[in-house]
Amino acid sequence: MIKDCKIITEIAKGGQKTVHLAEHPELGKVVIKRGTIRSFTSLERIKREVELLSELKSDFYPQQHHFYIDVKLKEFEIVEDYIEGNVLRDTMKQFRTRSQIFKLLQSLIEGLSIIWDKNIVHRDLKPENIIIRPNGVPCIIDLGIARFLDLESLTKTISPIGPCTPIYAAPEQLSNYKNTIDPRTDFYGLGIIALELYLGVHPFDPVYVGNHFSIVENILQQKYVIETTDIKADTALEEFARKTLQTQPYNRFRSYQMLNSFLSKYI
Amino acid sequence: MKVFHQTGYRDKWNIESYQKGVGDGLVFSPVNIDADKLLALDESIKKTGFLDPQLYLLNEPKGTLHTYPYFPGNLKPDFTTPDLDDSHIHLAKLCIDFQLQNKFQYLVIPTRYFEDYPSSYFVQSTDYFVTPFCDYLFKKSIDKKVLLSVIVKSIMLSDEEKRNEVLNWITGHQGIDGVYLIFENNFSSKQIKDFEYLLNALKFIKILKDNEMEVHIGYCNTEALLYSIAMPDSITVGSYENLRSFGIKRFQDSENGPMRSPNARLYSTKLLQWVEYQYIQAMKKLIPDYEKFFDDSEFKPLMFTPDFKWHFNKSEPYKHYFFVFNNQIKQLPHSQIERIEMLKGSIKNALKLFTDIENVVLLNDDSNGSHLSTWFNVINAFKKELSLE
Repeated sequence: MIKDCKIITEIAKGGQKTVHLAEHPELGKVVIKRGTIRSFTSLERIKREVELLSELKSDFYPQQHHFYIDVKLKEFEIVEDYIEGNVLRDTMKQFRTRSQIFKLLQSLIEGLSIIWDKNIVHRDLKPENIIIRPNGVPCIIDLGIARFLDLESLTKTISPIGPCTPIYAAPEQLSNYKNTIDPRTDFYGLGIIALELYLGVHPFDPVYVGNHFSIVENILQQKYVIETTDIKADTALEEFARKTLQTQPYNRFRSYQMLNSFLSKYI
Repeated sequence: MKVFHQTGYRDKWNIESYQKGVGDGLVFSPVNIDADKLLALDESIKKTGFLDPQLYLLNEPKGTLHTYPYFPGNLKPDFTTPDLDDSHIHLAKLCIDFQLQNKFQYLVIPTRYFEDYPSSYFVQSTDYFVTPFCDYLFKKSIDKKVLLSVIVKSIMLSDEEKRNEVLNWITGHQGIDGVYLIFENNFSSKQIKDFEYLLNALKFIKILKDNEMEVHIGYCNTEALLYSIAMPDSITVGSYENLRSFGIKRFQDSENGPMRSPNARLYSTKLLQWVEYQYIQAMKKLIPDYEKFFDDSEFKPLMFTPDFKWHFNKSEPYKHYFFVFNNQIKQLPHSQIERIEMLKGSIKNALKLFTDIENVVLLNDDSNGSHLSTWFNVINAFKKELSLE
């Protein structure tokens, strides 16, 4: 399939994979991901992500068209839909009011509930992993470190930190309490995103918190801001943060239904 | 708040009381009632209650446990714990089917008992019980409410890390509606007088309620009154002490050995205390209007006749307790703060009554309300936690 594609440009290049934008004669614009398989764990993660995406027929997730593993060369290639739109990181200014933020969150929850209902936790929610389509529907990408609660964990218990993007991670990820990972871990990520959209800055940023710790240390110590010198606190967002940015998952919303019902009160 | 009967030996007393309108339902005990007998019980007795599946000890078929189709010994002869790996799905199916057949109000997911709970406890409990039960319920599209059995050991209340672990585990299951909560009681005194333990128990219940879960507390003694201020959905009344205080001995064959008979006691809603009959007899001799310290019920006249032979095996003190305690619970206000204030008032009143009694009759530590000062302090501390002060 890849040989039918015409590469347009390189979108990203990291340590493990490169991502290209390409044109396919029938599918139109597609994304080609190529990379190396560095371990059994990374192979298993790729397979799980691919299998999951092939099951998810939803606008909230990219559609998968092709997957191939070269066992000898230890390489993989994936072809999936190119998602028209902009990553949330580049469109944050469109979501500054409480109403705009809560509507986006409800939409994200609708999408995430599809995987949560399958006992899967995304574990890497951040503005870079959310693409806002031209029609406003968010598309959630990069399920590469999603935790499949029904399958054996791929995270080593002795690792000091679990798989995550640290500045968007819940405390249980940062402490690698892998048995505590569940959808409430993603609620935490949504809490950070919501406050970041509202404030325009990361809520755990030491510059705004007013201390000398790192963002990660502030997450672990539950030190965040709900307002800055420019933006005054919003009571509903403050309450939302209080119910999502808790160190212990049992102090957060218990289910996405409860989370949704909270948001509905303010929309 | 509902009142369930924690049934056991002499469940007849509970059933009779329930049929007279005392309590809101029954928690059935497989150790004490044959499965066929339970199936044959009238639906009206079962439809408001639930079954405690009692899989605490998988290899001890005490009493009539072996008559239950889901009991492991019936799944495989010489069942050993590793056999759960192959049989947990079948066990879940049989256990749910049995509960459905009886048309109980709630379906209950069992739990195992460990003396020192192992590090794998929660993972195993999820794999062996929670997941297969929830999967089967989902497959059968059953819309009854589901309760998860949880035995709360003292260390789960006192140790922050363990408390976090158990609370995260309980609240992490999306398929359940609530918990059948059992506080293990290792205290030697008849009443719990440990300030930290009681306060932590209240905070534990509150966290579960904050998670919008139903909380049904089993094996309650009079502490049920104290627990009520954390706004659980139900508490229990039970006859013998082993139904008002959870200990694993009740499910071990060793309990069949020789036992010391406890002295008969009578509960007073005014004193918030069970009082040993010997002291009631002393009060009778020394306090002219001693009867005023005890509640009226249809059983009181008989118990206060001169020739009543007090014995722990007699039904009247227990049926009296079911009746008066149920009324006491039902009189609690629905508002949390009003409930707190009412209970504080009741405690102060009880302490005053004890002063009056002990001007004439000295009581021992299991009859003199010595737990009440702790209760009062626990209530104040809990109220402070709630920021109601």
